[in-house]
Amino acid sequence: MRIYVILLTFLLLVSAFVAPGRAEVTAVKAGRILTISGEPITDGVILIENGKIMEIGEGIEIPEDAILIDAGKSVAMPGFVDASAVQPVRGDLNEQSSEITPTLRISDALDPQSKALKRIVQTGVTTLFVSPGRQNIIGGMGVVVKPTGKIPQQMIVKDEAALRIVMDMDPTQGNRTPRGQAPENFYFRRPGTRMALIWMLRKSFFDAQQQADSKQTEDPNLAILSAALKDEIPIHVNARRAIVIRAALKVADEYGLKLIFQECTEGYKVVEQLAERKIPVVLGPFYYYPQSMGQSREGRKVNWNNAGILAEAGVKVALASGEQSGAIDILTAATFAVRHGMNRDDALKAITIIPAEILGVADRVGSLEKGKDADIVVLSGDPLNVTTRVEKVILNGKTVYQ
Amino acid sequence: MKSRSHIIFASVFLIAFATGSMVHAAPVRKKLAIEAGRIITIAGKDIKNGVILVEDGAIKAVGADVEIPWDAFVIEAKDQVVMPGFVIAHTSSGLDQANENMPEVPFISTFDSIDPVSTFFEDSLRDGVVAMLILPGNNTLLGGTGNIVKPYGRTVEAMLVKRYKGLKISLQPSRNTSRMGHMQRFRRYMSDLKDYLEEYERRKADAEEEKKPFDEEIDVTKQSMVDLLNKKLTAFIYCDRAADVPKAIEIQKTHGLKTVLVLGTDCYKAARLIAKSKLPVVLDPQLIVWETNEQTNEEEMKVIPAIFHKAGVKFAFQTDTSQYGRRYLWYQAATAVKHGMKRDEALKSITLYPAQFIGVDNRLGSIEAGKEATMLFLTGDPLDAGSWVDRTMIAGEIVYERAKDDRLKKLLEPPIEMQEPKDTD
Repeated sequence: MRIYVILLTFLLLVSAFVAPGRAEVTAVKAGRILTISGEPITDGVILIENGKIMEIGEGIEIPEDAILIDAGKSVAMPGFVDASAVQPVRGDLNEQSSEITPTLRISDALDPQSKALKRIVQTGVTTLFVSPGRQNIIGGMGVVVKPTGKIPQQMIVKDEAALRIVMDMDPTQGNRTPRGQAPENFYFRRPGTRMALIWMLRKSFFDAQQQADSKQTEDPNLAILSAALKDEIPIHVNARRAIVIRAALKVADEYGLKLIFQECTEGYKVVEQLAERKIPVVLGPFYYYPQSMGQSREGRKVNWNNAGILAEAGVKVALASGEQSGAIDILTAATFAVRHGMNRDDALKAITIIPAEILGVADRVGSLEKGKDADIVVLSGDPLNVTTRVEKVILNGKTVYQ
Repeated sequence: MKSRSHIIFASVFLIAFATGSMVHAAPVRKKLAIEAGRIITIAGKDIKNGVILVEDGAIKAVGADVEIPWDAFVIEAKDQVVMPGFVIAHTSSGLDQANENMPEVPFISTFDSIDPVSTFFEDSLRDGVVAMLILPGNNTLLGGTGNIVKPYGRTVEAMLVKRYKGLKISLQPSRNTSRMGHMQRFRRYMSDLKDYLEEYERRKADAEEEKKPFDEEIDVTKQSMVDLLNKKLTAFIYCDRAADVPKAIEIQKTHGLKTVLVLGTDCYKAARLIAKSKLPVVLDPQLIVWETNEQTNEEEMKVIPAIFHKAGVKFAFQTDTSQYGRRYLWYQAATAVKHGMKRDEALKSITLYPAQFIGVDNRLGSIEAGKEATMLFLTGDPLDAGSWVDRTMIAGEIVYERAKDDRLKKLLEPPIEMQEPKDTD
């Protein structure tokens, strides 16, 4: 009797999983599939179930009840992963109450209705990294999202994905020095020089180390920094110029930090150091103009083939569209990187699998493989041609743009 | 003795100078034959493995079966694409200052402000531009006259293709004036000008009646506006918003002006109106704008060249040096093709059409017999991001060679002095 009960419960349990039956299957047919992880497939099929890739390859039988998306002769490739994109958030991105705010999470400010999201999905981006603004030295934690969903929770792929540190002069900008009056305005307390900026950063990590050693009062800010010290949270450092990159490397050496560089416009100048330490870089936005660089004198020395030089030296290079709206899109960034000397395959990886790896979401996105999310972008032709257009974007198995 | 040494000294100088200038401008060979892998003529169909014969800086013949004369110097470009050079119909780049502070300055000329050493010209030459009309900026009501230059030469005089071409009228209110005040100012100027001309004609008639010699010249500050009314100059009317377009068309009709419209992004909303007016158009460098649909709250992408192309408007592209991508005319054309514009039309919009708009289509804009031998040698298709301008020929003279472009080399391969030492600590 008892064994029957157990058997029955087991059967019930099994049926509970099986009962909904086969979920809806979607099949995508394309003339050419660039999987990124493997060789390109000619006249291939991608089978999608529950938003995941079930099967991918040549000559796969399409189930009769499957929804067919026939992309004809077009090219299908993994949705682009943008590791530095326009922030789909509401409100200001910069916290003014303190310059060291590691506990802040940008995911609290995510806006699923953001215009930026609707625009970026049309450029083929299906995963993007959103981080706090540039006016804080340690701005807080970034989040990896997909440009879909009605509530922020549905968008999030990975929260607390990285800690953002800005070492460019941005946190000093707009800070007023008191002229003969008492510094009552809180803008006065922010750093005014690079010295102060680096000192504040160093002190934060020093305090975090002290706290970790003493195991006494628990400051949540320092707790996050000690997690970063222990390499539990990746650190993204915004550094454009070589001098800033060097300063960041020095601080990293002192505290044993593992860094990821964002922007890295003058990365080619310190290419050996970056390659030696195996530091990945996220390059973008793709403008190379002095007035946009902020520091005009250094700007003129900028090299167009930054991406190519770094990739050739063995640095993991991700290309991104950048935080400023109106910049060129991620695919065009890759096209121009190739024009200026980057290897074709490197460029395609730089907008798919490499940013996915950098963001720690390569198990879900960045290539077309069995078991990964069905994020597919369908292009009218060769991805690295200026005249190629994004025809269709499939996100989690659903067509979100065409 | 002393004077003699002076003479020797001077003659040495003269010789050095003469040889020096010879080095700069290689003698234009009289007869040239260009063997090209593909010729994009713009005037007609593309020619595969064609030959272009050039004599005294002008194109003599183009075709697949043109015989090469024995005395012609052959330029080999069998693995390259040869096409007419790009023409910019409207730009305010390369100027020291683009806008005058006073609102009505039709008498000033960009000739006095063009900066030959500006990197804009160097970049333009590298990017395949062979001629551009430089007009004053968009902040001045009657901004002054423009000049057509080539991006080659060390002085403005040397760069000059045609002086005194085009007059800029901007309908964008400047500084603290309203649109009403701005238009009123324009009307007042025109009515004052008409009064002045009537007075002038009367004085002239009186003088004739009295059989007195009449040698009074037209006021120099008004001359360019008179030339505008006489269609000696083309009006380049800048419309910032779509609402400015009907005003521009009205101005064109009332005064019977030869007109080219220079449009801001918003003006795509007036595309049909512009199509009806049949006026030529120079588009804003920003080709794609996003708008929120008020009903659905959806973000909509507006592709401006596609809208104008569909409406049947003839247009030319312009560039924006501050933005990567947009700084290339070929990129502008490729963007339009990407969004459905016909390739041939897109290519015409960066060559023949702008040449027509600025009145140099008798010399530039296409490769056909009789035109100036001004062309680009590209490493591949013009709309392919992998292609580079390998050589540029202006009037039979090679003025740019990629192999000798040191700055481009520096931009692509960092020279050693740019690299930082591995360890400085």
